[in-house]
Amino acid sequence: MRQTYGKLLPGMKLSDLAGKLLVVEGTDCAGRTTQINMLRPWLEEQGHAVLDTGMTRSPLAGDGIRRAKEGNNLGRVTQSLFYATDFVDRLENEVIPALRAGFIVLTDRYIYSLMARAIVRGMDPTWIRGIYSTALIPDAVFYLRLDVEQLIPRVIFSRGFDYWESGMDVFPGQDMYESFRSYQAALLAEFDRLSVEFNFETLDASADARVVFAQLQAKVQRVLDGDSRREYLRENGNFSRQYLHKVFEYAAATTMRRTTDQAVAQARQSNGPDRHWALQPAAAPFAAQTTRSFLEHK
Amino acid sequence: MNASNNMRLGPFEVFLPPEMVSPRLRPCGEPDFPGRLFVVEGIDGSGKSTQLSLLHKWLEFKGYGVVFSQWNSSELVKDTTKLGKKKKMLTPATFSLIHATDFADRIERNILPLLKAGAVVLCDRYIYTAFARDVARGMDRHWVRDLYTFAAKPAVAFYFRVPLETAIGRLVTARDGFKFYEAGLDIGLSDDPTESFRLFQGRIVDEYERMIPEFGLTVIDATLPVEVQQAQVRQIVQTHLDRARNLRVRP
Repeated sequence: MRQTYGKLLPGMKLSDLAGKLLVVEGTDCAGRTTQINMLRPWLEEQGHAVLDTGMTRSPLAGDGIRRAKEGNNLGRVTQSLFYATDFVDRLENEVIPALRAGFIVLTDRYIYSLMARAIVRGMDPTWIRGIYSTALIPDAVFYLRLDVEQLIPRVIFSRGFDYWESGMDVFPGQDMYESFRSYQAALLAEFDRLSVEFNFETLDASADARVVFAQLQAKVQRVLDGDSRREYLRENGNFSRQYLHKVFEYAAATTMRRTTDQAVAQARQSNGPDRHWALQPAAAPFAAQTTRSFLEHK
Repeated sequence: MNASNNMRLGPFEVFLPPEMVSPRLRPCGEPDFPGRLFVVEGIDGSGKSTQLSLLHKWLEFKGYGVVFSQWNSSELVKDTTKLGKKKKMLTPATFSLIHATDFADRIERNILPLLKAGAVVLCDRYIYTAFARDVARGMDRHWVRDLYTFAAKPAVAFYFRVPLETAIGRLVTARDGFKFYEAGLDIGLSDDPTESFRLFQGRIVDEYERMIPEFGLTVIDATLPVEVQQAQVRQIVQTHLDRARNLRVRP
């Protein structure tokens, strides 16, 4: 069953959300829109119903955010919460109904961008995570990664530097170029951190758009073909210490509340009967013990 | 990866989900300001706004630099809230978040700078209103409290306690009909606006009662004559202002 990052919104039912929630993340100009514009027709061609959504597209708060960004007086807490309003409006009125109807929901950015932006602006990471604890855990997060150096030419030769994309509110006193570099570098560092914590699938976005798209297609196909989590475990399945580490990391990073027992059981299943215990007999009692202490800790 | 997010378990390093990471500094945790913040809370019809405006006049008369801030009045956010209410687009969650956004704007641009500058700030409704209303709409109690951790702690939060029937009686004679969200019609307690209002405000009163010990709200009996209540309020405010050393004086 689908889960959230910890909290349920009133009236939110998670039992019949049959669709898939796919997130495309990445900094500005990483090519997210291009990829989504290619993914959508490809998925529709296969017969999937697709909803695509993204930041500030909510009927409730979208216009309000755009108006607020025209001025120079949008504070950092206000900004974070305005975006949260926009996000939750779309979550409740677009994403969840679409998932219930079995759609594939493609979202251009998700809570991770919003968290990164807020954290870079000095917000308390715990605070911003708490707000987004009501978000659904997606089926996959595809992170289009681009270094600041690779990013700059794309920005210069497309739309030029923008006040907010350059983080001029975070680094006042610098010119737009300097501010852009500092801001995007800070965002990137935060993204890299989040990518481990939330188990992003990272793609090198500096490659040609068609190359990125081919990689993305393969990854999306895998999500659609089956349970992405089982897939992950099969790929990394070798019950060594390193593997146990993966199981814990995986249980902690992706589902948050799913028990490690389940993850271990699933790994055993996908690896065939008890083969992995035979490889390292000493690991078995230790694993059970560690699992227990891990769970007690939670 | 930040080292503080990891936990060592035997030979393994485990990545912890965010709720297990120890809380860091709150966004705006300034503990002490030269200014003083006084807020009034209570259900509609409790008379809190009357009391606050009397307090406002008195403080001005005494020469304090006083500023007043009202719930739901941010220039940046007002239009969005209005749109959501008019078109009935707000769910309990977005109702909560848009009010938090409005409050954040007032805190960031108004209330905090003024407190730092040494003003006396008066707020008609504060975070406790959000706690009461949002929880009455079914939001998670902890989630809403965590949402507002950027707020400044008031010197005194007055709660004007009034029996539900008295408040409703005052309102029914004062205006015709209740608004959609005000009466909690969005959560479907009853189809009849007056009945829905009664049930919804009842829940809000329960939340306020719970918050009295939790946040140390100062209870004023709002059934007493206006003058008696005001005398109590002024006395309490006076003791706090006497202790404040760096208040601004009105030019």
